[in-house]
Amino acid sequence: MASLKGRNALVTGAAVGLGNAYARALAKAGANVAVCDVRAEIDELPAALRGMGVQSAGWRGDVSNPADVRRIVDGAIAALGSIDLLVSNAGIWGGSVADDDLDKSLADYERIVGTNLKGEYLFGRALIPHMLAHGRGGDIVNISTDHVHTCGTPFHVCPKLDSCPWKDAPRPTAGGTIMDLYDAGKWGLHGLTFAWAKALRPHGIRVNAICMGATDSNMLRGFHNFNPSPEEVATWMKAEDSAQVLIDLLMEGPGGRTGENMNLCVGRPTRLEPALPPVYILAEDIHVKA
Amino acid sequence: MSRLDGKTAVVSGAARGLGRAFAEALAGAGTHVIAFDIASNMPAVASEIAAATGGRVDGVVADVSQRADCERIVAHAVAAGGGIDVLVNNAGVWRETPVDSDWETALADWDYIMDTNLKGVLMLSRAAIPHMKGRVNANLVNISTYYVLPARSGGTNPPRTDLYAASKWALNGFTDAWAGHLAAHGVRVNALAMGAVDTPMLRNLFADGQLPPDLAAGVMPSSAIAGLLLDLIAEGPSGRTGENIGAWVGSPVELPPRKVPHERITGINIRIEH
Repeated sequence: MASLKGRNALVTGAAVGLGNAYARALAKAGANVAVCDVRAEIDELPAALRGMGVQSAGWRGDVSNPADVRRIVDGAIAALGSIDLLVSNAGIWGGSVADDDLDKSLADYERIVGTNLKGEYLFGRALIPHMLAHGRGGDIVNISTDHVHTCGTPFHVCPKLDSCPWKDAPRPTAGGTIMDLYDAGKWGLHGLTFAWAKALRPHGIRVNAICMGATDSNMLRGFHNFNPSPEEVATWMKAEDSAQVLIDLLMEGPGGRTGENMNLCVGRPTRLEPALPPVYILAEDIHVKA
Repeated sequence: MSRLDGKTAVVSGAARGLGRAFAEALAGAGTHVIAFDIASNMPAVASEIAAATGGRVDGVVADVSQRADCERIVAHAVAAGGGIDVLVNNAGVWRETPVDSDWETALADWDYIMDTNLKGVLMLSRAAIPHMKGRVNANLVNISTYYVLPARSGGTNPPRTDLYAASKWALNGFTDAWAGHLAAHGVRVNALAMGAVDTPMLRNLFADGQLPPDLAAGVMPSSAIAGLLLDLIAEGPSGRTGENIGAWVGSPVELPPRKVPHERITGINIRIEH
C-alpha cells in the first residue's frame, strides 16, 4: 500500500473533478491535505478527508488573486505545520479567438491566464521560500493540458508505443483555434516547470507537470454543457486513474524524476510511464534509445 | 530583394536592438513603418532610419503594456495605410526573477514581465488583427526565444528567469491558434525564436556591456534576423503559417524548410536510435 504518511499537501481547485480526486487520493495514501477552491462546495471536503484519517483544512479563494493565495498558503502552513507538496490543479476553460474585441480579451486574460498561469505562479512562489526554509525537500506538480504536446507523449522523446493513437500520424498541437488564451496559459507553465525544476533540484524539491487529455472532470463535462453522451464519456480517462498517476509520481521519492511534462492522453493507458531523460533541465543531446 | 512598396508595418520596441533592425529592414524594402517604443528617442531613431533607408518611418513614443497606447498605434497605422500588412510583436522585457524572491517582489515581477511580453502582445495584436484581415499577404510575427524549440534547445530554459521563459512559451498558444483562425483571412502568423543576438538586451547581461570572446565570435547580428523576417514575408500568401522559426548561434541564419503540422510549434525532430 502506497504511503505518503507524514507528507503535508496543498491541492488547489479541489472541490470538484480532478482536484477532488487528487485530494482524496492523497488522503487515502496517508498525506494530510489542505484544500482550496472558489466554489462553496469546498467547505465540505475537509471533514470528508478527516474521515479518512488524516488532517485537513480548507479555504474558499480565487487562485488568480494574490491576497487570496497568500491567505490560503499562510493558513495551510498554520493548519498543518508546514507544506511539502503542492498540487496546482485549479484551472478554468474559456473560449477566445484571435479577432475577439479588446474588452472581451482583457477580461479573458485576467480570468483565464490569471487562473491557469498566474495562479500556478503565485502558489509556487508563495510556497517555494517556505519549502526552502524547512529544508525537507518536496514536490510541486503543475496540472496542464495535452494541448501542449504533439505526438501523444512528451513530444521530443516519443517512445512510439504501440498503444499510442498517433504513432502512425502524429497530431499537430491539440488546442485548435478557439482557445488561444487557455493554450497560452498552459504553454506558459513550461517556463515555470522547467525553471523551478532546475533551480530547486539541488534542494530536493521536484517539479513536474501532468498534462491531461480528455478526462471525466467538471471542466470537460462543462465543455459539453454538462450533458455529454455516454459514448463520449466512455472515451474519457477517469479522474481516479489520473490521481493514481499523481500518487505513483510522488512515491518515486526524492530521487525521482523532475522537470518532466507527463502526458496522459486518450487512447493510451493512464499510468506513470518510466522517467524520460531530463532533457529540459540538462542541456544535453536528446537521442533516445528505442 | 523583394519590395514591399505600399505596405504598412507596425514594429513594437523599435528604438534599438532587434526592433530597430526590423524597422530598418522593412523601411528599406519600401514599407511605411510605424515604429514605436517607450524610449523617448524613438522619433529621432525613426528619422535616422528614414534617412539611411530612404523609407517612410513614423517614430512614436508608446508603451505596449498600455491598452490606450496599443489602440493609438493601430489607429495611426490605419490612418496611414488603410490597414496593417505587417505586425512585428518585438517589444519585450527581461530580468532575472529568482524563485526564492520575497512575495512583494514576486508580484511585481509578474506585472513587469507579463504586462509587456504577454499582455502587450495580446493587446496590440487584438487591436491590429481586424485591420490585417483581408490584406494580401498580411503577416503577424511574434518574437520569441530558442528556449521554446526543444528539438535543438532542450535544457536551455535558465533557472533564474521563470517568468521570461513562461512569457515566451505562452506565445506558442497565440502563434498556433491565431495561425489557424486567421488562415481564412489571409493573415499568416509565425514566430522567430532566436538564440543569442547582438542586442542591448544581451549586452546588458554583462557588466561592461562587452560580450565574452566566445559569445562575441558567434553571436548573430540583428540584421540577419531582420533578413529572416523579410524572407518570411517574401514567401507570399501561400507561405508558411503557425511556425516557430529557429535561429541558432553557430548555424546559418536562414529560413528552414517548411515543417509538417505537428512539427511547426515544437520544432520536433524525433530521432530514435535502434
